[in-house]
Amino acid sequence: MTADEICAKVDGVLAVPVEDAAASGVYVGDLLSDVMGHAGEDCALVTIQNHLNTIAVCTLVGCSVLVICHNRPIPPDMAEGAAREGVAIVTTPLSQYAAALALSSLPPAEH
Amino acid sequence: MKFDLHIHSCLSPCANLEMAPSEIVQRALAAGMGGIALTDHQSARNTPAIAECARRAGLACLFGLEVCTAEEVHTLAIFDTTEQALAMTEWVYAAMPKRVNDPDTFGDQPVVTWDDDIVELEWRILAMGCRKTIPDVSAKCHELGGIYIAAHIDRSAFSVYSQLGGIPDDAAFDAVELSRTADETGWLPKAGGYAVTRSSDAHNLDDVARVWTEADIPAFDTASLKAAFAAKTTSLSPRLTNF
Repeated sequence: MTADEICAKVDGVLAVPVEDAAASGVYVGDLLSDVMGHAGEDCALVTIQNHLNTIAVCTLVGCSVLVICHNRPIPPDMAEGAAREGVAIVTTPLSQYAAALALSSLPPAEH
Repeated sequence: MKFDLHIHSCLSPCANLEMAPSEIVQRALAAGMGGIALTDHQSARNTPAIAECARRAGLACLFGLEVCTAEEVHTLAIFDTTEQALAMTEWVYAAMPKRVNDPDTFGDQPVVTWDDDIVELEWRILAMGCRKTIPDVSAKCHELGGIYIAAHIDRSAFSVYSQLGGIPDDAAFDAVELSRTADETGWLPKAGGYAVTRSSDAHNLDDVARVWTEADIPAFDTASLKAAFAAKTTSLSPRLTNF
């Protein structure tokens, strides 16, 4: 599923567009150590962690679509890092659970 | 005496590489600090370098690390000696993921000498948390003779409020820290009864000692700070409003 399609499903805004960004599954987590340990490659990560470290974790686990819940603002350094690392950022007014439900046609991406 | 208890050196992956211990000491002296503490993420490996810089420059210095706990809360463990700080570092390292840092992703992590030579690049990912909880880290810090401070409790990430919704009962902090922009009138009631500090959390040279804490203490050491915290006789510099 492309970042654009994910954005539409969560009623979001594509805060950082990245060409060809897509996901084949979803992982939900707000504890970055948990995300690092369990998120599967090629996932869309649904989280409230709106800071630069999240981009680094996306790079580590191979996630190229980040869904930030509750319309949390994206700090400039996070947006720059995401563009540099090729991580599309979608912001959504939805909660983590509601965003996961909206993306339920995708399977869990975890290991 | 004014002091800044939260300063990062170049060892922290998110800090500017200009943050050489020698430069930090000069900036702190120029800003009129009576003492500083070096607190890199998860590591005190640059404390021997800043100890020598501070000794040469005649600045009092404490040695610590900013421990990211299992709750992903940032906390400061601060000691009188580099040996204590390095012992704490070994304990934290043993509870960290054995992943290798990619400097292009997180940033460089140089361990340096007092005269700015790079000794080696730390291989662990210092941007990541450890598996020890706040009560565990607190107990270890105190066992080693340190003081334990909840960092930037007002921030929306990596703070007790962002991660836990408040200050846990079993944390046994010695104080809680407000960030450079925090409005203390709003935050003092949320300090859980602890003494409050304000420090720069500097990641680049221009931020060193831009804000500070002040206390009438006989010496800049952990015992004196602990006594001032217990008596709640610390006061804070103005916050930055144009940051």
